[in-house]
Amino acid sequence: MKFSAPIPGANFTTDTRNYGWHRPPEITNFDDGVEYLIRKMDDPDQSDLIFSLIEMKTPITVIVSTLMLQAISRGKIPIDLGILMSGPVARYIEILAKSEGLPYEMGADDKDRLSITPTALKVALGIIDSEDELPPEEVLALSGSKSEGGLMTRPDGTTAAPAEEQEAMLGMAVEEPVEVTEEEMVDGLA
Amino acid sequence: MKFEQAVKKSIKDFLAGKVPANLMRQSEDGLIYTPEYLDKIEEQMLDAPADTKKKNKKETVDEV
Repeated sequence: MKFSAPIPGANFTTDTRNYGWHRPPEITNFDDGVEYLIRKMDDPDQSDLIFSLIEMKTPITVIVSTLMLQAISRGKIPIDLGILMSGPVARYIEILAKSEGLPYEMGADDKDRLSITPTALKVALGIIDSEDELPPEEVLALSGSKSEGGLMTRPDGTTAAPAEEQEAMLGMAVEEPVEVTEEEMVDGLA
Repeated sequence: MKFEQAVKKSIKDFLAGKVPANLMRQSEDGLIYTPEYLDKIEEQMLDAPADTKKKNKKETVDEV
């Protein structure tokens, strides 16, 4: 049961006209949208900000996401158009970086991707001096290593039991007769 | 899929020269900001001397 969800009709109880994304978007054409963002990037303040972000090695995909979210939240473009426009806008930023001779990172490849966790950020920002101060589970999350073993861990093929043990578990192994001494028999009866 | 992932996928496809077919059909005259068009802009901007780059950049956009 979801208790944190809004009750049916809750959307009718508040005035939503103050939010840009609740009104029809201003731009609905692909080319008009791309042109709007390119013109915006040509503004000296915006271009300085973009160049600074590129110099800080911020991936272009992140810059584009931010620009799109900004435009969407202001009610300029719809979300789906923002996703479609991302390609040309990223390419334009790439051209700007090349023309200024700035080394850039596109960030469209998933390889070498580092997952940003709250703990990794704390260490990077110096809030925590070292990983030694962290609880073991956070150190594990930071290092990205998987836990090994455990009863409910999915076997990866290398941890399978040997053939003899498997046969024994299935009851297919030949059991050796157990010799019972007289003393044991007496104790068992007692 | 999160918004950031969708943006990343869209950028990846565009850089590979792919444009959604339905988007191409949207405009009768065809789209302006295609991968080929941006390649031309890149050529123009990179060939231009350093002091005229900014000027050319604005002119290129104004042409559109």
